[in-house]
Amino acid sequence: MSLLSIRNLHASIGDKEILKGVNLEINLGEVHSIMGPNGNGKSTLAGIIAGNSKFTVTEGEIIFKGKNILDMPVDVRAAEGIFLGFQYPVEIPGVSITNFMRTAVNEQRKYRGLDPLTGAQFMRLMEEKKKVVEMTTNLANRSVNEGFSGGEKKKNEIFQMAMLDPTLAILDETDSGLDIDALRIVASGVNKLRRPDNATIVITHYQRLLDYIVPDFVHVLYEGRIVKTGPKELALELESKGYEWIKEELESAK
Amino acid sequence: MEKIVQQFRDIHPLMRKNEVWRNVDFTSLLTDDLVLSQGERQTADYHCQIPDLEAIRFVVENGYYHQQSAQLPNGVIVSALRKAGDADAYFSRCAPKPNPYLQCNADNYSDGLYLSIPANTHIEKPIQLQSVINAGHGLFLQVRNLVVVGPHSHVTIIHCDDSYDQAPSFSNNVTEIYLHEGASVEFYKMQNINNASGLLNHTYVAMEHDARFRSVAITLNGGHIRNHTEIRMLGEHCDVQAHGLYLNDQEQRVDNYVFVEHAFPNCVSRELFKGILDDTAQGSFNGHVLVSEGAIKTEAYQSNKNILLTDKAFINTKPFLEIYNDDVKCSHGSTIGQLDEQALFYIRSRGISERTAKTLLLYAFCDEVLQQIMLQPLREKLVDLVKKRLHGELTPCAECSLHCSSPCNGPEADFHIDPSKL
Repeated sequence: MSLLSIRNLHASIGDKEILKGVNLEINLGEVHSIMGPNGNGKSTLAGIIAGNSKFTVTEGEIIFKGKNILDMPVDVRAAEGIFLGFQYPVEIPGVSITNFMRTAVNEQRKYRGLDPLTGAQFMRLMEEKKKVVEMTTNLANRSVNEGFSGGEKKKNEIFQMAMLDPTLAILDETDSGLDIDALRIVASGVNKLRRPDNATIVITHYQRLLDYIVPDFVHVLYEGRIVKTGPKELALELESKGYEWIKEELESAK
Repeated sequence: MEKIVQQFRDIHPLMRKNEVWRNVDFTSLLTDDLVLSQGERQTADYHCQIPDLEAIRFVVENGYYHQQSAQLPNGVIVSALRKAGDADAYFSRCAPKPNPYLQCNADNYSDGLYLSIPANTHIEKPIQLQSVINAGHGLFLQVRNLVVVGPHSHVTIIHCDDSYDQAPSFSNNVTEIYLHEGASVEFYKMQNINNASGLLNHTYVAMEHDARFRSVAITLNGGHIRNHTEIRMLGEHCDVQAHGLYLNDQEQRVDNYVFVEHAFPNCVSRELFKGILDDTAQGSFNGHVLVSEGAIKTEAYQSNKNILLTDKAFINTKPFLEIYNDDVKCSHGSTIGQLDEQALFYIRSRGISERTAKTLLLYAFCDEVLQQIMLQPLREKLVDLVKKRLHGELTPCAECSLHCSSPCNGPEADFHIDPSKL
C-alpha cells in the first residue's frame, strides 16, 4: 500500500479550475520532485494535500495511510503526519517560536494518545533539532518569522519539520529566495531527516536544489496534470532544455 | 433615588449636543438600587498576589481611603485627599475645562488618595492603589485621587478598579496627575468590575517641560466602562505614551476617549488601543490629538485596532488629528477585522486545533499592548490574566472579582504562551 495516493484530483479556486486530473503515488522512503512552469498548479497541489480550504476539490480523492483525508481539517491532517513547508512562511508577531512549537508538538502528541512533553523535555528536543538547520539564535524571545530574512524563514520551516517529524513532508519552493549557503543548509537539513519510514515531496523550479536533495522521481506538472514522470535525470534535462519540448511533445501527441 | 444619583442622571440630556459625550448614556445603570457609600468597611483582606511584585499598597474601599503607613522617601506625602483638601493648589488644576460629570465629582467626592512627591525623588517600588467595591448592596461612588510629582521625580502607579461582589454599582472617579518639569510617571490601570456595574473614569494629566507619562489601561471586564483621559503638555520635550487593551463580551460596553494636547514644540505622543469584542459587546475609541500652531516638531501617532468575534459585536472608532502647523510628523489609523486567515492556516497546518490557533492569534493581538507594560511582574501577571480571559476562565465570581489574587486553579490551558514558564 502506498503512503499517499492521489487519484484523478480536480480542484479549483473560485471558478477557475487549476488541477485537472492529477494522479500520484508515493511510497515510504521515497523523495519525489514536482517541477513545472509557474502557474500550473504546483502550490495548489501542495495546499490541497495540506488542507487549505481556499481550494475546492471537485473530483477525485487523496488517500493517506489508507484514509481519505479530503474531509479532514488541516490540523488533523498534520497530526496524521502531513507537513507543509510554506513557500511564503507567515509572520505571526506576538507568538514566540518556542510556544508555537510546544503547542504544536503537544497537540499532535495528544492526538496520538501520548503525554505532553515537559518543559525540560521540550527544550532538549528543540536544542537537538535546531542543529539540523544549524540554527544558533535563541528562539524563545522571537516571534514566528517576524523580521526573519528569507533564508531564516526557510530554515525555520525545516526546523519545524524536524520538530514535528512528519511521515510526509511537502516542501513548496523551499529553495526560493535562498543564497547558496542557506540552500546548502536547508537541503542538508532535509537529507538528515530522510528515513525509510517517511517520504518527501519537493516542489521546485530549479534543478539546483535537486543537486542536494536527490529525488527518486521527477514529475512535471503542466496545465493541471502530471504530464511526465522520470528519474532524477529528467530534472537535468528540464534544466538544459526548458519546458518547451514538453509542451511540443504534448502538442504532437494530441 | 438618591439626590446625587438623580443629579448625575440628569447630566446626560444636557450633553446631547456635545460631540465627546453625546453617546455616553449611563441611564440604565443609574437605578434606585444605588445608594451613596457610607464607607462600609469589610473585614476582607484585599491582598494582591502578583508574584514578585513588591508594591506599596493603598486601599480605597467603597469610596473611602484606608489610612495606612508606608515606608516612603523623605518628603513624600500620602494621605486621604479629604485631609489634604480641595484647598490644595493642584486640585482641579489638570482639568481646565470641567464638564458636568467632572464637576459632580469635584463637588461631592467621598475621598481618595493624595500623593505628593517632592523634587528629585525616585520612588523605587511601585505604588498600588486598589479601588475596591464591596458593600453587598448597590452603591454610587465618587472617588478622587490627586498625584503631584515634583521636578525630576519618578513614580510607578498601579491603579486597580475591582468589584468584590455582584451588586450593581456606579463610579464616577477622577484621578489627576500633575508632572513637574522632568518628572516621569508610569501609570497602569486595571479594570475588572462586574457586569452590573458602570465606571466613568476620568484621568487628567498635566505635564511641564521634559516630563514623561506612560499609561497602559487594561479593561478585562465591566458592564459599562468609559475611560476619559485628557493629557496636556505644557512645555517642550514632553513624551506621552497612552495605550489600552479592552476585552469585552456579553452585553458589556467599553469606551475610550483620549485627548492629547500638543501646545509646545518638540513633544511626542503615541497611542495604541486594541480591543477584542465578543457576543453583543459594544465599544468605542475616540482619540483627539490637538497640535497648536506653535507646536512645531510635534510627533503624534494614534492607532486603534479591533477584532470583532461576532456579527453583533460593535465598535465605533474615530481617530482624529487636529493640526495647526506644517512642521509635524503625525499619523493615525484604525482597523476593524477578523483573524488573519493565512496565519490561522499556517498555525493549524502544524497540528494545532482551530480553537487553540484562534486563541493563540487573539493573544498575539493583545501582546503588542501588554509589551508596553515596563513593570515585569505586572506584565507577566497580565499576560496570564489575558490568557485566562481569552480561555473564558475569567469571570467575576461571588467570592472574589479581584483575579489578581486568585491563584490559577482553572483547567490546564491548551497552550502556554509565556516563554518564561518553560
